[in-house]
Amino acid sequence: MSAFINVVTVGLLLGGIYGLVSIGLNLIFGVIRIVNFAQGEFVMLGMYGAYLAYLLIGVDPYVSILVVVPSLFLFGVVVQRFILQPLQNEPMMQVFATFGLLLLLQNMVLAITRGMSYTVPTPLSQVHFDLGGVSLSLSRLIVLLSVCVVAIGLSWFLKHTLLGKSVRAVTQDRRSARLMGINVEWTYMLTFGTGAALAGLAGTLLAPIYTMSPQIGGNFIVAAFAVVVLGGLGSVWGAFAGGFIIGMIEAFAGYYVNPELKHVAWFLVFIIVLIVRPSGLFGVMGAEEVGLREQN
Amino acid sequence: MSRTDTLPMPASALKAKSVTGLTTFDTELVRIAAVAIVLLGCTWLLSGQPFYMNILSYTFLFAALATSWNIIGGYGGQFSLAHGVYFAIGAYLAGNLYIRFGLSPWIALVPAALAAAIAAALICWPLFRLKGKFFGIATLAVSEVAFVLANYFDSLTGGPRGMSLPFKAGFSNMIFTNRFSYALLMLGFLIFCLIVSGFVYRTRLGYYLQAVRDDQDAAQASGIDVLYVKMTGMALSAALTAMGGVFFALYLRFIDPPTLLSLPDIGVRFLLISLIGGVGTLFGPLVGALLIVPVEFYLRATIGGSIPGGHLVVLGAVLILCSLFLKRGIVGAVESAWQSIRRRRHG
Repeated sequence: MSAFINVVTVGLLLGGIYGLVSIGLNLIFGVIRIVNFAQGEFVMLGMYGAYLAYLLIGVDPYVSILVVVPSLFLFGVVVQRFILQPLQNEPMMQVFATFGLLLLLQNMVLAITRGMSYTVPTPLSQVHFDLGGVSLSLSRLIVLLSVCVVAIGLSWFLKHTLLGKSVRAVTQDRRSARLMGINVEWTYMLTFGTGAALAGLAGTLLAPIYTMSPQIGGNFIVAAFAVVVLGGLGSVWGAFAGGFIIGMIEAFAGYYVNPELKHVAWFLVFIIVLIVRPSGLFGVMGAEEVGLREQN
Repeated sequence: MSRTDTLPMPASALKAKSVTGLTTFDTELVRIAAVAIVLLGCTWLLSGQPFYMNILSYTFLFAALATSWNIIGGYGGQFSLAHGVYFAIGAYLAGNLYIRFGLSPWIALVPAALAAAIAAALICWPLFRLKGKFFGIATLAVSEVAFVLANYFDSLTGGPRGMSLPFKAGFSNMIFTNRFSYALLMLGFLIFCLIVSGFVYRTRLGYYLQAVRDDQDAAQASGIDVLYVKMTGMALSAALTAMGGVFFALYLRFIDPPTLLSLPDIGVRFLLISLIGGVGTLFGPLVGALLIVPVEFYLRATIGGSIPGGHLVVLGAVLILCSLFLKRGIVGAVESAWQSIRRRRHG
C-alpha cells in the first residue's frame, strides 16, 4: 500500500513538472499555432539562468526568478518578432526555424560550458517531509504548487482581462480579431514572450532538482508534446491535467512494468489519444483543423 | 505516365519540355544520367584522398536518404520525422543477418526494404488520420519510442553498447579496404534513389501525392484514394531509407541507438537537407546534401575540436537564416531567378 502511495506521489510531482513545462508550450501552440521545438531549450536556458544568477550575484534560484523570467520574456518577444513573425504563413518553415533555434541554443550552451554539468545549491532542497512513509522534498512541492498557481492565474487572465480576451479572440479567428481592432502581431509577440517566460519559470524551479546539461531540454520537450496533445490544444487546464496524467502513467509504468519502458507507456497513450481524439481531452472538437486552416 | 511526345530520348531531352509542357520521366532520366556522370567524374578526380572519399560517401548517402524522404515528405507533404526508424530497421536487420547467419548485406537489402515497408504501413495506417504538424508530432513520438525500444531489446540491437560488425573485407560482405569503393557504392545508391524518385515524381503516384499534399479534400473529392496513395508513398520511401540503413551499417561497421535514431543527427536531418535544397523537387535533396554535408564536415574539423558543438551552432544559425530567406530551398530560388531572367528577356 505504501508503495502505491509512493508511486502516486512520484506521479503527482512528475506531473507538476510536466504541467509547468507544457503550459507555456500549449499557450504558444494554441494561440500562434506554432510547434515550438525550442521550448525545451527555453527551459534549459532558465536553468542555466538560475545558475548564472547564483554564480554572479549569489542569489538563491528561487530569487533569481525575478531576473530570469523577465529575461526570457524579452528573449521570446525578440524570437517571435524577428524569426517567427515573418514565417507566419509558412508552417514548414516554422518547424525548420524553431529546430534551428533548438540546435543553436543547445550547442551555444554546450560550447560555453564545455559540457560541464552543474547543480544550483539551495537550502530549501535539503528540506524533506515525511508523510506516512512517503518522502517529499520541498523543492518538488514548490513545483507542484507553482503549476497550480500558474494554471489558475493564466486561466483567470485569459478569461477576465481585456488582453486575455484578445488572446482568445485571436485564437478563435485571426481575421475577425483583426477586424475588431486587435493588434494580432502584438498579441502574438506577448503570447510567445509569455510562453518563453513560463518555460524560464519552469527552468528556474527545476534547477535545484535536476543536474543541468545542455541537452536536458530534450527530456521535457517530447513529454510536453505528449501533454499538450493529450490535454488539448490551447487549453490551459488541458495542459495542467495532461501533465498529471502523463506523470502518473510514467510513475506507474516505471514501477509496475519496467523503468526503462516508462517512456514507451506514455507515448503509447499519447498516440492512442491522438488517433481517437485528435483535439485532446479538453480541447475544442475540431481545434486541430482550425490550426491547419489558412489564416491571414 | 503522360507521355505525349514520341520523339526519341535525346531529342526530347534537348527540348526539356514536351508538347504538353510537362517534363516526362525520360527527360528526368537524361538529367539523372548527366548528374551521375558529373558526380562520378568528381569522385574519380578525388579518388586518391581518403579524407574526401569519406566526405563524399556521407554526402551521397545522405543525398540518397533525403531523396527517399522527399518522396513522401516533399511530393506527399507528409512531414515524417520517423524515418530514422526505417533507417534503423535496415541497419539492425543487415547487422543481425550478417553476424548471426553470415548473410551477405547485398541480399539483406531485400528483407530490409520489405520490413521497413511493412513497418511503415503499420505505423502510418493509424497516423495518417492526422494532418500536417500533428502527423509530424506523432512521428516524432514514434521515433522516440523506437529509441527507447532499441536500447531495451539488447539481444537484437546490442542495446546502448551498440553492435559491431567484424571487419572481413570482400565484395560479398560489402566491406572494402579502400574508401573509393564506398564512395562508388553510395553514389550507386544515390542514383538508384534518384531514378525511383524521378519515376514517382513524373508518374501517376507522384501526381496523386502532390494533389494530396496541395489539398487533401479536393484530391479525395476527385476520386483519389488518399489513404492508399499516402501509404504507397510512405512504404516506398521507407523501403529506400532502410536500404540506406544497410549501407550505413556496413560503412560504419558500428551501430548503436544514438547514431541511428537521434533526431538531430538522422530523423530531422533528412528533412533539413531536403528543405535547404528544395523540398518537393527531384534534385533539391541532392543539392541540399552537396551543400550541407561537406560544410558540416568542414566545420566539425575546424571548430568542432576546439569548441564543442561549435559546428552545430553554425548549422542552427544556417537553418534559421534559410527558413527566413530561402523558403523554397536553393532549387526553388534558382528556379525563380531563372524565370525572372527569362521574363525580362522576353519582355
